[in-house]
Amino acid sequence: MSTKATPAVLLEKCSKWYGQVIGINDVSLAIDGGVTGILGPNGAGKSTLFKLLMGRLKPSSGNVRLFGVDPWVSTSPYRRVGYVAETEKLYDWMTGHDFVSTLARLHGMTREEASDRASHVLDFVGLSDVQNKEIGKYSKGMRQRVKIAHALVHDPDLIILDEPLHGCDPIARTSIMSVIRDLGSQGKTVLVSSHILDEIERITEQIVILHNGRLLALGNLHAIRDLLDKHPHRILIRTENPRKLAESFVPEDPVYGVRFAEDGALEVLTNDLSAAHEVLPRVIVDSGLKITSIENPDDNLEALLGYLVGDAS
Amino acid sequence: MMDRQGRGLAETVWTRLDRKAGAITELTIRQLRHRLSTWVVLAVGFLLLIALLALFIGGIRDGWEPIDNDGDAHDWDGDGYPAGQEFKYGSDPFDRFSFPGSGEFVEEGSFEWGSVGLYSGNHTWRSATGMFTYTWLDDSQIGGGGVLEVDSLEPCPDGELFEDFWLDWGEGCRMDVNRIVVHDASFVGNGTFRVEEGYAAWGYMEDSFDVEPEPASNYIDEDDIDWTGDPNKINGFDDDGDCLRIGWPEETPPDFVWWSWEPNHDSDRNGNGVDCDVEWIADSNGNIVAIIPDDNVDEDPSEENLAYEDAHRAFIIGTGKIAFVMILGIFLPLFLALGLVRDETENGTLHYLLSKPIHRGEFITYRILGYLVVAGGFVLIMSLMMGLVTASLGPGDSIFRLKDVIVWLGIAFATILALAAYGAIFNTLGLLSSRYGVYIALVIGVYEFVMAVLTLGGAELIPVLSVSHWTLQLIDSIVLIVWPNTIEMHIIASAFDLPSGITAFWNPPAHTLGTESPFISGLISVIVLLLITSLMIIFGQSQFKRREIM
Repeated sequence: MSTKATPAVLLEKCSKWYGQVIGINDVSLAIDGGVTGILGPNGAGKSTLFKLLMGRLKPSSGNVRLFGVDPWVSTSPYRRVGYVAETEKLYDWMTGHDFVSTLARLHGMTREEASDRASHVLDFVGLSDVQNKEIGKYSKGMRQRVKIAHALVHDPDLIILDEPLHGCDPIARTSIMSVIRDLGSQGKTVLVSSHILDEIERITEQIVILHNGRLLALGNLHAIRDLLDKHPHRILIRTENPRKLAESFVPEDPVYGVRFAEDGALEVLTNDLSAAHEVLPRVIVDSGLKITSIENPDDNLEALLGYLVGDAS
Repeated sequence: MMDRQGRGLAETVWTRLDRKAGAITELTIRQLRHRLSTWVVLAVGFLLLIALLALFIGGIRDGWEPIDNDGDAHDWDGDGYPAGQEFKYGSDPFDRFSFPGSGEFVEEGSFEWGSVGLYSGNHTWRSATGMFTYTWLDDSQIGGGGVLEVDSLEPCPDGELFEDFWLDWGEGCRMDVNRIVVHDASFVGNGTFRVEEGYAAWGYMEDSFDVEPEPASNYIDEDDIDWTGDPNKINGFDDDGDCLRIGWPEETPPDFVWWSWEPNHDSDRNGNGVDCDVEWIADSNGNIVAIIPDDNVDEDPSEENLAYEDAHRAFIIGTGKIAFVMILGIFLPLFLALGLVRDETENGTLHYLLSKPIHRGEFITYRILGYLVVAGGFVLIMSLMMGLVTASLGPGDSIFRLKDVIVWLGIAFATILALAAYGAIFNTLGLLSSRYGVYIALVIGVYEFVMAVLTLGGAELIPVLSVSHWTLQLIDSIVLIVWPNTIEMHIIASAFDLPSGITAFWNPPAHTLGTESPFISGLISVIVLLLITSLMIIFGQSQFKRREIM
């Protein structure tokens, strides 16, 4: 078990360059316990961070420690780590059970132990009914889950998931999210990366935001969200009669203005997004108008990053 | 001893290692099994060996024609007598007018050189150049030096001989139904010969008597090798008498053997004071190191005893060296080993394997192990298949030649060592450069093939910097260990100029550190091959450990 002295994951002034290109830049980080979302747009350095942790890459400067051990030098910490790589390739000719139990044997399990553990984790990720089917016949969501199963087979203390929700349909997404939340509630340290704010928000509150290789923010998502909420936001509503709806919004307290977008959609401007969303259903019901869509164009990672970067500069 | 979880120590260290090795090896085998290219290359190898076996079985079914090693069973001049019989009677084996009992040509007259003239009569005409108008021409015999082939005379072209057309020596052409033109030809006929700046002699054959022609088979395998097994005794015996020549005429034509003219017969060629024997020279260990026969002694041995066994061993050694080592040994690794680690890196599936507590170096070793199980297993099964066929059908009194199978297993062993070495080399090349590795591997494959050919040719120094040299050397050693008399067969074949496959495919092991022991040369070869394999694996491991994996 990790102690305070040796956190599961520790980066000290860690940088990684690929020639002239920066992977991550001077990142210091310590994570131990709970689910942590690693948030950042594509190319922010999420995968580089994970590959440094998994000893695939050697840091250009600084230190990386996994349970106090340098993963570039020693593979011993992998006994306690499960890693779900970004790669989508799998051994398509193997069955799910085969795949997981073969890899389990690399932890030194006997064939029988490996087979039992594989059945157990495949059940945990909800694949027990297809475990004897070839992976080549799996759906995208099943493939992601079989990858998660292989990472869990040895009951690790730390699980690293690189974009586990990427490309999954909503049902698979929900089931994978619940698996990750379960792992967190079992007291494991979980790192999960994503470039979609909403996904992370549904999994955890503890986040690390990476941007252009730099550590931009670290902490509670809600605290960061609250800061963001207090900044100007737009709510985009498409309706048959935007002018009539605009009239209904103007008197509302959180709303400080309305605008009509070029395509005729109504833009409601607010400084308090959560408060605005509280009044939104009532206003719409009262107006009796038919609504085709409601969007929060500023409630995404890009907006958050824009806000954070803007603050920083 | 127990560890904290209560497992035995042996359990924690060795069995864990074994489980990892087992898992990666098994994964590698299953991956290779799921690739089409694996099956294609194995099928091609299998078909190649089946084709060779078909040739082998075809050769056996055709049977073993006895070989006339000295060429004296052939009737070279077409007079009906084999050359060996003509030697005994002192007649010329290349002249159809000269045969046992043919007698001497008695010349009755001739034209003067360059004169113009006519002569008529029933004669034997010799060295005739001119025109012959005849009433009878003997067409009973054909062939031989200077003898006119009466049956196959072509019509003459228009014009004069030597002015408008030309005839070869001993040839002629037909001018009319009963008229021919000849150039320096011999024939028998009744008619008028006309010369114009030509020549002809006429006469008859004297003192002829009837000699029954002997069958050619009397002169095949007629002088077998007579070897007492003791180099100090007198060895070799002139079974057919063509060395001793007792009762032969004084003027015997030049000795003829099929590969050369031997103008001076020497019945004590080896100079040991014994006429018509064979000197067998042994070293201090009693191994035959050289054989020097007198002329025409033991020169036409029985194929049943020698060539059959020689050809059988040559098939096994040749197939082992060329099909197993030089073809399977190089091509299987090219197809199966090059991508062992490279393909995993390119696919990204390496991440699953390397996120487990396994050292990258270990990983490479187990991958090569898995490849060796597939390639080596194939080679082993193929060698047993070959062994069963050759052991059942080969020459000799025994129903099953067990030693054949042992040699085949030795060939499989040597090939597997080569597969390991090439596998380690090619896998490392794939690691070093995923794009150019295959080209470098092809160059190495060609280089190894050339070195193997040099080794087959007997080169001992240049090819030492190759895997194939040591593999072939190991096969040479194993052959000599299992069949110690191979070296003797090798020397016999050279000494009596016998057609031998062993001399083509087998050389005495070269690297014996002066001991001449096949065990030493075999051991050195195994050590060198294992050393190359280990060094290449260690080199690959060190490269892979430093590699950043994207």
